[in-house]
Amino acid sequence: MQSAPTSSAKTNVPDSKAAAIRHLPADVQTAFHQFEADGNVAALDRVILAILKDYIPRPSEKPLDALPGETRLMDDLGFDSLAITEVVFFTEDLLGISIANEEIIQVRSLDDLRGFVRRKVAARKAG
Amino acid sequence: MPRLPVITGLGFITSIGNDRASVVRSLRELQHGFEPYVFWDNPDLAVKVAGTVKGFAFPTPSWRDWRWPDQFAVDRELVRGLAPHGVYAICAVQQALAEAGLNPADLAGGDTGLFCASAGSPFLLGHFLDQMRATRGERGNPMGIVSSIAGTLNFNLAAHYKISGAVCGFVSACASSSHALGYAMDEIRLGRQQRMLVVGAEDMTTESILPFATLRALSNNPDPAIASRPFDRLRDGFVGTGGAVALIVEDAALARSRGARIQAELVGWGQAGDGHSVAASHPEGAGLREAMRRTLADARVAPSAIHYVNAHATSTPAGDRSEALALQALFTSNGAKPRISSTKALTGHGLSLAGAMEAAFCTLAIDEKFIPGAAHLGEADEVCAGLDLPRTSLDEAPSLVLNNSSGFGGSNVCHVLGRPRNSIYPI
Repeated sequence: MQSAPTSSAKTNVPDSKAAAIRHLPADVQTAFHQFEADGNVAALDRVILAILKDYIPRPSEKPLDALPGETRLMDDLGFDSLAITEVVFFTEDLLGISIANEEIIQVRSLDDLRGFVRRKVAARKAG
Repeated sequence: MPRLPVITGLGFITSIGNDRASVVRSLRELQHGFEPYVFWDNPDLAVKVAGTVKGFAFPTPSWRDWRWPDQFAVDRELVRGLAPHGVYAICAVQQALAEAGLNPADLAGGDTGLFCASAGSPFLLGHFLDQMRATRGERGNPMGIVSSIAGTLNFNLAAHYKISGAVCGFVSACASSSHALGYAMDEIRLGRQQRMLVVGAEDMTTESILPFATLRALSNNPDPAIASRPFDRLRDGFVGTGGAVALIVEDAALARSRGARIQAELVGWGQAGDGHSVAASHPEGAGLREAMRRTLADARVAPSAIHYVNAHATSTPAGDRSEALALQALFTSNGAKPRISSTKALTGHGLSLAGAMEAAFCTLAIDEKFIPGAAHLGEADEVCAGLDLPRTSLDEAPSLVLNNSSGFGGSNVCHVLGRPRNSIYPI
């Protein structure tokens, strides 16, 4: 069983978002709470990889965080447009960002995705 | 020599068993698949029984919460686009392929087609639309449509098994999968396909079953042992069920050439409309009578040649009466007296699944040499006078079997299945 993060880490996370990630591993939930609390981008990266893993059509042989940053989502990991749309919708709702179709088709690799989400989140905070 | 469609593989996910051996045992011993069931957590509802599918759980619309028996493999890539009945179907197809001695790769290549039937998934469609409505159209599951609308079965199975032959779904309510099987026979007979995968399936959910209560079509009897009792004087409606059944239909020449065991021949089929009511059957079963007549003509057999009829009878007062009258008109009036039972007494009514499920039961009767009894039948309705409704299953080996189905709008579809031995009847 996955244990829920401690209540002190939940301070900045509304219940709806906590519910949305309840199926993710406990350390990922903790990372999300940490990111929401202090904007830690390393924690954000862990959350993004966990979301990718959750929607990946075929399980990856290696853990996603052990793959090189240039690993391509479609050609190397087997993502198709539907699975990417699932990732986009989930990420938009969880992080409160908006991703246009024209933007997402520019995201091809793991590094692209990490950088893209970081920029979007930074723009959210600036806005 | 005309091409002859034959059945070489069956797969079952049903209320009375999730494998062939369990289903045969249930049919022989008249073990039903019903359990008390609380629809929408409301114990005050009058409908209290369902034909549950054991070993599966779909507690939420999220596939992450779904469970199925360990012996079946349902990939992550696949399950995201499936409805609950799609999960059943994958499990049934895996069994049918194994029984037919085929690999999934054998379905690719264009010689195999796929005909399916389900009503879609009201459970997932309702949730999908609720989600879109709540966000005023700004959010929705990208797999929402392909997992929920009528056609979800053929979308998913065709893509998963890389089927490049004929692919189609059939929608005629409770006659749907009988249409799928009938037209699959034609694909073989016309030489368009060498092999057809036929799948009927339905969700076993409140959303698929309880709406029939608004038509007063569901039994209000709380006792699982007698709630479904087709042709009984005290019957008061059907008990809903879900599941999936898969049939591998092949050209007999192909089956023989690859050494496959032929379980039954598909000898003929036919259909006729009632031209009467959107929901109710014709009071004298006119459409069903004509569908049976056309089916026997297609099979070139006389009523007296039929040994067993798997009736459509769902346990509703009006529907069973119509079928009894149609059976009297076609058989009794011609001096014929086949054994008759409705296996819905054991399974419940599988809606779009029913026709394929019962064609598979007919195949089992032929292949395993028995006749399923008319379970739960106490005192037969007087309209059944003269019909042979055996109270127990019989160790008789039927040579020719008739399978009946009827759906909303008065669609009536029948098949004749036969023991695999050409000499017993003229082709």
